[in-house]
Amino acid sequence: MKVETHKVARLHALLWGIFSLGGMIAAFLLPVMIYMTAIAYPFGLWPFSSPSGCLYCPTRDPSFLVTGHLLGALFIFVTIAGSLYHGIFRFQTTLTELGLLKYRRALEAVGYFIIFVGIIVLGYYLVAWYLNGTIA
Amino acid sequence: MGDAKRYPELRRRLSSGWWTANRHYTMYMVREWTSLFVALYSLMFIYGLSLWATGSRADFLNFLKNPAIIGFSLIAFVFTMYHAATWFYLLGAVAPVKIGRSRTKPWQALVLNIILLIIISFLAIWLAVLR
Repeated sequence: MKVETHKVARLHALLWGIFSLGGMIAAFLLPVMIYMTAIAYPFGLWPFSSPSGCLYCPTRDPSFLVTGHLLGALFIFVTIAGSLYHGIFRFQTTLTELGLLKYRRALEAVGYFIIFVGIIVLGYYLVAWYLNGTIA
Repeated sequence: MGDAKRYPELRRRLSSGWWTANRHYTMYMVREWTSLFVALYSLMFIYGLSLWATGSRADFLNFLKNPAIIGFSLIAFVFTMYHAATWFYLLGAVAPVKIGRSRTKPWQALVLNIILLIIISFLAIWLAVLR
């Protein structure tokens, strides 16, 4: 029983540790990612704006962020996977504080399922693009 | 006797509207709800990549230019910045750094980390897009 309790405590510590790491990632990397994909690109702002007076200059878009080089793909994976874990983990905990405590197990199951599937799908696309040469 | 019985877990029963009792609770709950936008943006981006993987690069770029996606992302950006600011403040509160006889204040951690956020953002743009 005691060994089992220690195992559960260790698992909890690990899950909360990843949660904290995800919080740091969401705080430091997610704002710039949203800026690039949702503000700079659609509104033609730096770094996706073309140089003034140069009509034929090649401009980059967020797809370059994903496939431009390995570092960009790594940035995408760390930012999205870390933020997804942090966001879902924190939100499921919030729901238990809003009167849904009795559904904690079900919320955890759904939450971990979304995290697992999301990270696997993201990793799969990036690895596949790396292996077939789409990522430079 | 198992640990669970020797140390019973005491759970205070809360009503679903407890967070409206005072301003601090309300701000706490707003901070917690920022996580929903963090998660939804991440899922949205993965969905965008799936459009690219199953279709073309143009599908992904058109998805990013969809007005509904831009609108949601702008809201997500505001909430993410709020998450960042509260997270930095919290770091200073839970892990103050001891310098000589004094300890750093949470607002100092907030200012320092915001400067760090700006540096990291420029570095990320340079490394991932401009290089």
